[in-house]
This record gives sequence, C-alpha cells and structure tokens, in this order.
Amino acid sequence: MTNVLVRFNHLAKSHIGILAPFSYFNIQHYSTTPPGTPPPQTKTKFGGLSDEDRVFTNLYGRYDWRLKGALKRGDWYKAKEIILKGPDWIINEIKVSGLRGRGGAGFPSGMKYSFMLKPSDGRPKYLVINADEGEPGTCKDREIMRHDPHKLVEGCLLVGSAMGAQAAYIYIRGEFYNEASNMQIAIAEAYQAGLLGKNACGSGYDFDVFMHRGAGAYICGEETALIESLEGKQGKPRLKPPFPADVGVFGCPTTVTNVETVAVAPTILRRGGAWFASFGRTRNSGTKLFSISGHVCTPCTVEEEMSIPLKELIERHAGGVTGGWDNLLGVIPGGSSTPVIPKSVCETAIMDFDGLVACQTSLGTAAVIVMNKQTDIIKAIARLIMFYKHESCGQCTPCREGINWMNKIMYRFVEGKARLDEIDMIWELSKQIEGHTICALGDGAAWPVQGLIRHFRSEIECRIKEF
Amino acid sequence: MASRAMNLAQRQVKPILSLDQDEARKRAINLYRAWNKQLPFIVRHFDIPKSVEQCRQILREEFTKHENLTDVRVIDMLIIKGQMELQESVNNWKQKGHIMSYFKETIEPKPKDFLSKFLQGVD
Amino acid sequence: MLRITVQKALKGGFLSPKHVSPMLSKGTGDVQKKPQQIEVFVDDKPVMVDPGTTVLQAAAMVGVEIPRFCYHERLAVAGNCRMCLVEVERSPKPVAACAMPVMKGWRIKTNSEMTKKAREGVMEFLLVNHPLDCPICDQGGECDLQDQSMAFGSDRSRFTDIEYSGKRAVEDKDIGPLIKTIMTRCIHCTRCIRFASEVAGIDDLGTTGRGSDMQVGTYVEKFFLSELSGNVIDLCPVGALTSKPYSFAARPWEIRRTDSIDVLDAIGSNIVVCTRTGEVLRILPRVNELVNEEWLSDKARFAYDGLKRQRLITPMLRNGFGELEPVDWECALVSVGKKILKAGKNVGAIAGGMAEAEALVALKDLINKIGSEKVCTEHAYPTTGSGTDIRSSYLLNNKIARIEEADLVLLIGTNTRLEAPLLNSRIRKGYVHNETQIFVIGPKVDLRYDYTHLGTDPGVIKDIEYGKHQFTTVLKRAKKPVIIVGPDALSRPDGAGILLHIQSLAKIIQACVTEPDWWVLNILHKVAGQVAALDIGYTPGTKSIVQDDSLKVLYLLGADENIPCRKDLPKDCFVIYQGHHGDKGACMADAVLPGAAYTEKQATYVNTEGRAQQTTVAVTPPGFCREDWKIIRALSDIIGKTLPYDNLDQIRCRLEEIAPHLTRYGDAENGNFYDVSLDIGKQSNVEIETDPLCVTQNCLEDFYMTDVISRASSTMAKCVSAVRQQKSSQY
Repeated sequence: MTNVLVRFNHLAKSHIGILAPFSYFNIQHYSTTPPGTPPPQTKTKFGGLSDEDRVFTNLYGRYDWRLKGALKRGDWYKAKEIILKGPDWIINEIKVSGLRGRGGAGFPSGMKYSFMLKPSDGRPKYLVINADEGEPGTCKDREIMRHDPHKLVEGCLLVGSAMGAQAAYIYIRGEFYNEASNMQIAIAEAYQAGLLGKNACGSGYDFDVFMHRGAGAYICGEETALIESLEGKQGKPRLKPPFPADVGVFGCPTTVTNVETVAVAPTILRRGGAWFASFGRTRNSGTKLFSISGHVCTPCTVEEEMSIPLKELIERHAGGVTGGWDNLLGVIPGGSSTPVIPKSVCETAIMDFDGLVACQTSLGTAAVIVMNKQTDIIKAIARLIMFYKHESCGQCTPCREGINWMNKIMYRFVEGKARLDEIDMIWELSKQIEGHTICALGDGAAWPVQGLIRHFRSEIECRIKEF
Repeated sequence: MASRAMNLAQRQVKPILSLDQDEARKRAINLYRAWNKQLPFIVRHFDIPKSVEQCRQILREEFTKHENLTDVRVIDMLIIKGQMELQESVNNWKQKGHIMSYFKETIEPKPKDFLSKFLQGVD
Repeated sequence: MLRITVQKALKGGFLSPKHVSPMLSKGTGDVQKKPQQIEVFVDDKPVMVDPGTTVLQAAAMVGVEIPRFCYHERLAVAGNCRMCLVEVERSPKPVAACAMPVMKGWRIKTNSEMTKKAREGVMEFLLVNHPLDCPICDQGGECDLQDQSMAFGSDRSRFTDIEYSGKRAVEDKDIGPLIKTIMTRCIHCTRCIRFASEVAGIDDLGTTGRGSDMQVGTYVEKFFLSELSGNVIDLCPVGALTSKPYSFAARPWEIRRTDSIDVLDAIGSNIVVCTRTGEVLRILPRVNELVNEEWLSDKARFAYDGLKRQRLITPMLRNGFGELEPVDWECALVSVGKKILKAGKNVGAIAGGMAEAEALVALKDLINKIGSEKVCTEHAYPTTGSGTDIRSSYLLNNKIARIEEADLVLLIGTNTRLEAPLLNSRIRKGYVHNETQIFVIGPKVDLRYDYTHLGTDPGVIKDIEYGKHQFTTVLKRAKKPVIIVGPDALSRPDGAGILLHIQSLAKIIQACVTEPDWWVLNILHKVAGQVAALDIGYTPGTKSIVQDDSLKVLYLLGADENIPCRKDLPKDCFVIYQGHHGDKGACMADAVLPGAAYTEKQATYVNTEGRAQQTTVAVTPPGFCREDWKIIRALSDIIGKTLPYDNLDQIRCRLEEIAPHLTRYGDAENGNFYDVSLDIGKQSNVEIETDPLCVTQNCLEDFYMTDVISRASSTMAKCVSAVRQQKSSQY
C-alpha cells in the first residue's frame, strides 16, 4: 500500500520544492550542498551485486534466523556505540547514504527522520514500522521478518534512538502468521539479551518494541490508516495535515516507515553512508530487494543494486521471461498500483526511482510483475481494479464510487461490451479519482487503468469491435 | 355622417316611457299601489319575520327616498326597476334573503369595545 | 466516548482534524497573545486571517461559498466528501478546503477550471449511486445534493452502467420512532455519526463495511435513542435521514415558516414553526448562538402533534350532572364572573409552567384588583430568606453559552440531560473540548459524560461549604467553576436551606474567581414560565392556596402539574381552568376557558438565564380558543374591574412598567445583588434534611412526556415505548 504514497512521478527532480506548501518544513532545492548530501555517483554500469555487499544475508532462510545466527551475521554489532554517537550522527549518515523510503513513495529517509528532531513539547514520540505488506506482487518485507527479524529489531532501536522515540510499534499484516511469530520471538530474544527495554544495549537509552497484528486490510498499509488501526479504530486514512510527524499515533509525533528501510539502517550505520551511496545512480542509491513474479522461469525475491536495467534483472535472477524475451507482453515494475509498461519500454527501463518515472511508471516497492503474451492484459488490469474496489475504505467519495464504477466498466471491457468512447471516459474517470482523495489508494487504483489505456488502447478497441 | 350626428345631439332627448311629469307621477302611483296590494302575499309566501305594516313602512321609505327627483327619464328608469323587482317577487324569482335585504338593520355593526370584540372573536 | 486527551499537551498546536471541532472555546481564560494574522488571496481578493484558519473559512470571509457535504461548523472535520476541493496556486492537486489550513500567501482559486472539474467529478461520483427518487423524497426542495448538483454539477450524466447493472441499494434501518431512514440515499458524509458521538455523546451510529459496501447505521439492530436525536435530520444533507412524523406531509415550498420560541423546557430554544393551512407540520431549530446554537431537543421538535389532540376548544361549565358542558363565551364568562364577584377577596390563582408573561400580568392585576394577593405558580421554589426577591437567586446567572467555558461544573440535584438537554450539550462540549471536570451531588444519572459522584446526601453541600470535604480545595482551585442547581433540589421542603448553603458556598467560591462577570451560582428551571412569573411577583408553590380554608374561587392558569387536588380545597370552592389542553386541571375544574397554545399566540417567555423572548402566531387558535391575556381581560370587564389594556402593545407597556427587561426581547438581564441575597437568606433558619436528593426525570423514558402538550403527543408516546422496547433488547 505504501507503494502509492506521495509520488513524484509526474514531476521533474528539481520540482520537489513544490511540496513545500504541504509541509511545514521547507524542502528547498538542493542548490548548495548541505551536510548529508550523498557523494556524486561516477559509476555507469549497475547490477551484479557482490555477496559481501548484500545487506540481507539470510534472505532465503538458509541459516539460523534467531539471535545466535543473527549475531554471527553481524547484527547487533556495536549497536551501543552507534546509539551513543547520537541522533545527529545517525541521521546525517542516513542522509549521506541517500536512502529513500522502500515502501513505494521513495521519500528521503534522512529528511523524514529529521522531522522528528524538533524540540519536544512533552509528548512522547513513536516509531511505527509499516509491516502491512499487502501490495499484490510484493514479497520482500515478509522475507526479512521471517528470515532476518533481528535486522528489523535492531533497525527499530537505532532509528528510534535517532529520533528520540520511546517505542516502536511494528504493525504487521494479519495474514503473516509465521512472520509475526518469528518477529515476536526475535523481539523476546532481544529483550532477554538486554538489547531492548530499559537501558537497551547498555547505552542508557530506554526503548520498547511492540508488535501489533492487523486484521487484514490493504488500506491499513497507508500510514494514517495504519495509525488509526493501531489506535483501535477503523482503518480509515486521516486527513493531512496534520502530518503524523506532528500528530500521529495516540496524538503524538510519529514516523511511519517501511520494514526494509529500517532493516537496512543498521548495516548503513555500520558500513557508512558512503558505502551505501556507492550503489545505484545519484539520488537512487543503495541496494534494494526486488520481488520478481509472474511469467518468469524462477520467480524470486533478490537483493540487487539500484538502477539495474529491468531486462538484466529479469534475465539474471528470474531465469528470463517464460518463452523468451520476445514473448514478453508487459511488465508492472513496482507492484500492482504502478502503471504497466509494454515490452518496447522494458528494453531500456532502468530499475530506480527516476528511471521508471521517465517511463511514466514508478518503482513502487520494486515488485516486478512480468506478463508474457499469453496474458489477457485487460482482464489482468480489471482484476487489479477489482482488488482496489474491494479494498477501498469507503470513506471519501471519489475512491468509493469511482473505483466501483471503473471496475464495472473494466469488466465490460474484458468482454468488449462497451462503446469506444467509454475508453476516453474511463481515462477521465481515473483522472477524476487521482489526486482527489484523502489517501493515495485512489491514485493507486487510477494508475493501472491509465497505464493500460496509454499502452494497450488498441487491445481494448479490438475487443470492443469484436464483440 | 358627422352632420347627422350633430343634429341628433341637438334634438330633444328621447323619452323612455313618460312624456311629461304628470305621466311619470301616474306611473309611480300605479307602481306603489301594485306593490301595496302584493305585500300581504309577499309576507306569506316568503315567510318573512315581518308584519305587513312593517313592510308598508319600508315600501313607503323606498319611494320617499326618491321624492325629490324631477328628471322624467330617471323616474322612468326607477319605475321600470321597481316593476322588475315586483315581478321577481310575484313570481317567486326572489328568495327570502332578497326580501329581507330591504330591512337594512339585519347587518350588525362591527364591535368596537374590547368585550364585544372578544365575544365575537374578532381582533 | 470521544474525549481529546492530548489537548492539554498541544495547546493551540495542530490536532488531528478528526478530533477537533473548529470551535474550540473562544477564550480559555489565560490571556493568549493574538497570533500574527496572515494574508491569503481568495479569487485574488486579499484577506487577513488567523493562522490555522481553513481555506473554507477564509473563503467565507470574503463571501465565497464553497460547496460542501460533510463539513459542518459545529462538528469535527471529516473531509471525506471531497466536494470542497479547490485549487491552490502552485499545488499540483486540489486541496480539501474544509480541512486544509491556509498558509501565508496562498492564492486560492474557487472558480478555476481545475476546481470546477474537481467538483463536477465528485458530484458525478456522488450521483452514481444516489437514487434519483427526488419526487418521492422528503428532502426534495431542501436537499443539499439537489441544490449543489444544480449549482456545481455537470449538465449531463455519463453513467451508462445503469443499462448493465443497477445502482447500489441498501437496506433501511429502524432507528426509532422519530427518524426515518432511506439508506440508499446516503452519501456517507458521516455528519450523523459525528453528531451522535460528539454532541449527543452516543456512540451508537457508525459505519460498517468498506468501499462501496460501506453503510451508515447502528452496528447492531437497535434504536438511536437520544434526547437530541432529531438533529441528525437537519444535519443529513440528503434524504437518508428524514423525520418520521413529518414524512410525506409537505414540501418545503408549500409551508409557511414562523419564527418562534420553544416553551417545553426552560432553555427557550429558538424555533421555526412550519405550518400549512392552519396546521403545525413540523418544528425546526433556529440558530441562536446564545441559547440553542442550532440544535433542538426531541421533545421540542416532535411534540407538536400534541397541539392537535386533547385540545379544549370551547368554554365549558359543569352542569347539574357533574359533566362539563360546552357553552358560549358570554355564558361562561358571566357565570365565572358571578362566582368571582360572590367570592369577594377569597380568590386565588395558580399559574402553570407554560403561562406567558402577558397572561401572568393580566391575571395578577385582576386578582389584585379584586383584593387578593394569592397568586402563585405551581412549581415550588424557596421563598424564605432572599427567595425570589432578588433575581440572582433564581437565575442561571452565568448564561447558557458560557457554561461551556467552565473548567469545573458542579451539578446539584439535577439531571441536566433531560431537564435541559441543550444545557447538557453545552456541558458536554466543555467536557470534550475543554477538559471540564464535572461533579454531581444527587442521583447517579446518565449524563453522557463522565463525572465524579459526590453522593446523594444534601449534607455534602454543607461539608463542602465548611471545607470538611476534600472537594472544597478542588472547587477553590478552579478558574471558572459553576454550580448548577436543579429545580427538584429546591422544591423540597428544605429547599430554602439547600439554597442558602449553596449560596454561601457559591460566595466562598466566587471570591476565588478572578474572571470578570463569571457567576458561580446558577439555578436551572424546568418550565418556561417560571422565571417570568417570579419576575412579575408570583409566589412560587401552592402552599398558600392549600392552607387557605376560606378560598371560594381558584383560578388555574394552565396549571396541571402540581395543583392541589379537590379534597385539599374547601368544598364550595369554584375552580376555573384556563388553558389549552384537557388534562388534570381541566378535569377538576367547574369552568373551563379555552386558551391558546404557544404556537397560537404572541407571547413573552423568559428563559432560565433571564432572557426575554417572544413566540409569534403561527396558526390561529382552534375552535373558540382565545389568547390567554384576552380571556382575563374580558373577564375583568364582566366583573366590572376592567384592566387598563386592550391590545398587545398596551399590555406590553404594562409589562414594561413592572419589569422593563420583559420586553427587551433577545437580551438577558443580569442578576444582581449577589451578596445581599445571601445576607437576607441567613435570617431564615431552615436546615437541610438528610433525605437523599432525587430528580423526577431519571432516565430517557421520563423525558418525553412532561407537560400537557407532550403528554397529548402520540409521537412522544411512541418514543417512550421505544425506550422501553430498547431496554428489553439484548443490545
């Protein structure tokens, strides 16, 4: 769900400043180089991450996921020293690493954490981990929580200490039974080892981690809906402003952040921001978990360098498209809510935030859904819209009524029982939903339709004519 | 055409019934007599709560109301109207209320003081 | 129950708009320095606003109305209808005007292409699943959706799917005898839900399901029973919630609207009486920030059908068989007059709770002219001590609107929720937004907010007064404390003692209050006529009548509640009842003179805070009914002691002679001589007894039928049975 948060996909890089009116911190253009600017990238070829540079070394569960195994892999190493280096150092290091939120919106994490450094007004602060990974196609957070939970627990402590949070809440998707169970065990182990709780890691810092299991709603992956749900209410997104950094969970300043973002933080802090920044193109730096599914020979979740070409990613890790590259119809590059791109675009697409924005789509959660030519692309998109229709919270009008309507039209498109001008109509409807809703679910439902019409209009027209 | 119209205007006005005062007087007296004879029947037929004497008095009032008239044409017109009224009474074309309307005191004056206004329910 | 706990911590900071109504109280006591105003532009018109003002409010300041469905000034912001989207320059997408606070220099465009498109889009979506059954919808003609789709919607529909699949249909809910639901029409603005949980304090309403299956309702099958439930009908922007008694009765353009005042409780809510062809069809609230804001209690709103039943429409005299026989006015007045003349000075009068100032003055003048001083009201109030001589000892001195500013409320012997629902909603407002602490001495009743119960023994008051109770320090520490004393506490035999102790307690507390014009002592009345009667000089309570053995004639002016029964009166006493409903009073009367109800006369009422307001004539009185003061005036004529006023102006001049504030309509005259009243009171020596304090209206069941009008109303009877049915329900 976080996949579809604020996204800059229609904005050029230099226009990030346009968000200024929406936040009370002025996000200014990077005209000068403030502290925390990642070093410029000089590499020209990306991909082929070597094993020693992997953050998630137990992604496939080959080793022990418990504390003992985690310690062996270097987790919790010098966690105390890192905490003692202080919030400013930690946040600066995150800024240097150029880490951007891995939940889909790609908001610079260092900046996000620095919002919490305002002088306290007496209210406690909270870190909330969004482990409600519900985006169809995405399966990266669950791997972390199942096989490397200590990365996340340690990340909670380090990031939490950086923002002065009292506690972290891990809001985990209800369906993730094994993940929740492993997480809970990891948290318990950390408490027993003195890594959490009072005087965590012996640093003198008190920090708690709680886990909360959701009840299974995609919308609860939206940060404010997640907060509502955590508070025990119906998971319906709140209005922003006020942003969670001001009024979040239980009315206190809160940062909601993705599992992967937090889980990579300890490694960044140990190996240095510059190390992390050395991967991928400038402003898209780092390594990333890609989940490749669909019509590929070996679907997998793999950690790769950012900015790897899409074709290389599929061929190297997923064994190529079923029936060969020429059999490719299209790819949804970032989870269900991102627009589909056809083969012609896939040839050159670069898997990072800016590279995909250039293709009028988005990196999202980097869940690559590959579809070959046996796919009924209209039906595939219609099924996605049905998912969004089912998961709409029903709070605000455009999303509640609009997606339902789009769903009806899409299923008529599948049969071809429609008029040609309805293609333009559904395009306009999707535009009427996009950007008019409280949260970004409306946008996420509108984009697949827009992607379909943008690239596969002739397909729909054919179908209608045949009917 | 215009000159003919002028001539007509200058001619003496055309009489309605009577040629002179005397004739008009005669007609008036005849009408009075006819009404007077009819009064007992009116009282009976219409079943009005008035005596013949009271009716005679009203009849007299109605006639004396116009005693100063001199214009023969006006007198004639009133006589024609009176005859019509008489005919309507004789043939029972009128109804009781029409007869009673000669007795003006049936219309009560609007209340002026608070109490009578209150009792009648008018503001 | 919704209560904002983070408010203290925030103090003026941002709050989640879901929880914060924009009407956080105006002044919280401590002097806040006025924040710098910021300039924004609405359609290029510059306007200076306070920081935190929303776009919608800023637009309203320059007279630009932004369409909205879910936004309501008195409720928390939900921002879910998206109708109020407007373009802000330099922002890529339109913003929700109802929730977005303006920033410095914003240029808001309420008429731009983007804004128009957004509105048209939202309107189209709203209409997609809205049944276009306007011809059979009760809201037709006063429907926000109709109006706004005319003004802001697109001119044609693109909803072709109606040919393939139908619109959404939702099962109707049965939420009680007052509110009719047609849930298919619901546009999910959630105003009703927010009203229920914020203002009424009842969390029965909510949404279930999600997406296009979302439904507004009570989660389980139950009634939405609240003393303020009718307000959701006004709040509903479409015809999903309509009035059951009014259903299919009339169209808004057919009815005549008459501004008036409600008299079924002592609050004096401002109302609009909607009539057609001499019949009251419905009653709506009228905005008056000082009294009822824009709410109305269910009794005031729905008891109007009682105006058509059990009416006395002709004068009656008891004949030889002991039956009341219709006679004409002259006959009735003459025989009543004869009795009065025969009785000489032995005449007494009791005024009822709904008697207006005009009739009260006329009756008092008449009785005094005869030579008797026995004019009293049926509701008792302490007369010993300062009693009713000084206004401040029988008024809600601090005024209704300022009760919500209080930081501590002490309720003594009252169930404000049922005795004065709109005062209770003010207390609740303070409780929700202001962290008001509430303490209760008296029965433990459900007030829809949490309070600390200090006991039912009236002796507690003494303990607090003498500082023997730990609550004294709490009370003294409060910046803005109020003590609200209920009518039932003071009508006890030891009421004078209770009042005296409360007065001296109030004096002690008053000394600790620094706020100017803040009065601690507040008396709540139950009936609309009491304050005017006391102002005019009536004796509260019927004691003097009952004790008088020589009484020959007893004149009941609409008195039905606490009147002496026949056996308490001398055998030959002739009882005259003047009023509009055949109830207890008319039953025992020897002569009945039919008066007018509050919708049928122009009459002055003074509410519990001392605010004079007038009702106006909405319909003519039925049958031979006459305005009350006129009956008395006519009677005075008959017995030869003519009162010197013939019309409304003249009697109002007389009112002004007695008490000038009675004709200053809309103003509330302050009480006075706060200290003196205590000193006078000290001379009395009534002690507080130990009987526990109790109230007559304990639960919602007791609320609906309390006076002649509501007792005659079948709607109110249905409410009572609904409450009983709910009680037996498992939910």
